[in-house]
Amino acid sequence: MSSSDPQFPVPGPADPWRKPDTGAAPGGAPEPGPVPGAYPSGPAYPPEPTYGSAPAPGYGSAPAPGYGVAPAPGGYAPGYGYGYGYAPGGYYPKNSYAVWSLVLGILSLVSCGFLTGVPAIIVGNNAKKAAAVGEADNPGMATAGVVLGWIGTALSAAGLLIYLFFVVFAVVMSATTPST
Amino acid sequence: MRDPHVAGSWGACPLHLLTGLWCPGCGGLRAVHDLTHGDLAGAWGMNPLVVTLLPLAVLGWAVWTWRSATGRAWRAPRPAWAWTALAVVVAFAVLRNLPPLAPYLAP
Repeated sequence: MSSSDPQFPVPGPADPWRKPDTGAAPGGAPEPGPVPGAYPSGPAYPPEPTYGSAPAPGYGSAPAPGYGVAPAPGGYAPGYGYGYGYAPGGYYPKNSYAVWSLVLGILSLVSCGFLTGVPAIIVGNNAKKAAAVGEADNPGMATAGVVLGWIGTALSAAGLLIYLFFVVFAVVMSATTPST
Repeated sequence: MRDPHVAGSWGACPLHLLTGLWCPGCGGLRAVHDLTHGDLAGAWGMNPLVVTLLPLAVLGWAVWTWRSATGRAWRAPRPAWAWTALAVVVAFAVLRNLPPLAPYLAP
């Protein structure tokens, strides 16, 4: 989903200005007073908007990669600067991944074992990848979810193996014990 | 298809054998079995949580399939839903093992 406004093109996934440490040129947001906290790539992007730096390719949208391509249920597109914080997951669209990973990990320890443990590992790894590219800011929680998922999966898998061993043991014993 | 109401037809639950407790999923297989036979009341008696969440899960799956097929991006549900789900499942696990509520919540 990209804006058709030529003055403020929304960068796509291969946009060279995505990475914050390329020293992204401070193309000003069109509206005065963008929310300072909206820019997660701190030092590389000065919070003070330096309007009038005309030569910068109209980098009017959020520096966080993935913003330009994020779906906009809350309406990001033309109004850069507003919409942040209003849509669910406004600043970091993939923050929920780590939360779900943690919840699934806890459930895997409490009762569901590998049934939620495996999804916890998968979602947690996706959350860590998202945090690595700046689409989320909670890699710690993601790691917690992955760890809990592994523990829950491993414990329940071990329990299942022991259980199966006993089942096989019982079957074998009843089959080979001579009946009296 | 084996009738899970018959004891031992699908094996035994390790958690229940070890602890005697009913986990939040206990009765889930019997509930689904009852649902496939049209016995909604019986299914509810087996595991109310599964009976409530199953249509929601199917709905969520349908929404995800639709969004993926039409190319619209799919957002993971809000974190609030995750914490709610955790609270509901843990509360269910605790409540169904309490003797006064066991007749209603446990299989």
